[in-house]
Amino acid sequence: MALQLSPKMQAFTQEVFPAIIGTNRKDGSVEIVPVWFEQKDGSFWINGGTNRGWFKHLERDPRITLLLIDPKEMFRWAQVEGRMVNWEEDAGGEHINELSHRYLKKDYQGPRTGRIKIQIEPLRVTGAIDGRR
Amino acid sequence: MAGAKKALALTPAVRKLAALPILIVIATQRDDGSVQLNPVWFELEDGFIWLNSNTNRTWPKNLQRDREVTMLLVDPKTPDRYAQIRGRLISLVPDPKHEFIDRLSRRYTGKKFRDLEAGEHRITLKVQPLSVTGQML
Repeated sequence: MALQLSPKMQAFTQEVFPAIIGTNRKDGSVEIVPVWFEQKDGSFWINGGTNRGWFKHLERDPRITLLLIDPKEMFRWAQVEGRMVNWEEDAGGEHINELSHRYLKKDYQGPRTGRIKIQIEPLRVTGAIDGRR
Repeated sequence: MAGAKKALALTPAVRKLAALPILIVIATQRDDGSVQLNPVWFELEDGFIWLNSNTNRTWPKNLQRDREVTMLLVDPKTPDRYAQIRGRLISLVPDPKHEFIDRLSRRYTGKKFRDLEAGEHRITLKVQPLSVTGQML
């Protein structure tokens, strides 16, 4: 069952900073990288090429943890445990362009082909924003 | 064969990033294999990453079990600049006089650490970097 985000989390996820995502590598270690994200209708959306390591990991093990942290005030953070529930081709790069506008306020400058968008359903939230550890 | 891995000399770009008063994000795995991410205070000294925790937190327990950790430093001004550091826990020692947590606290707040809560015990974790990947380094 997907988790409904609290009003505080709804607001926090509209702020503009990258999400740090953690996925499980085949060898049992964890990969963490910062990526652009958006939260819409209770789901988290990220975007990437199908050749990204984290996407390969998610195809094998859909569990993903997102750390959202305000880079200017790093005690403002939330950890979201979730799982990939869907992915689809980002036809024409429409979604990456949307993310580019969220982060850079301009059209996406990179290649718009060969990209996918990934939907992540949140299952549990911990951290300082909701006041739970 | 973690024991065969060599310590890694960090590049000037990574050392510069580590000198900023930013938190390091550490990734460990819970018992069920899911990923746990925590932003924590740290210090890079003598080529090792030094961390400190309350003994009842989950992440040091995870780390003690697996001894493997992935860490991430992100430049707050340029989020495209980041370093992902894979490391191995090489020691975990009590910090009974809170000397190390006071030192970390001074790095971040300019003051010594708050008074410990009743029953709170601190430990210092020493992590050896094994590999670094990233962007704009």
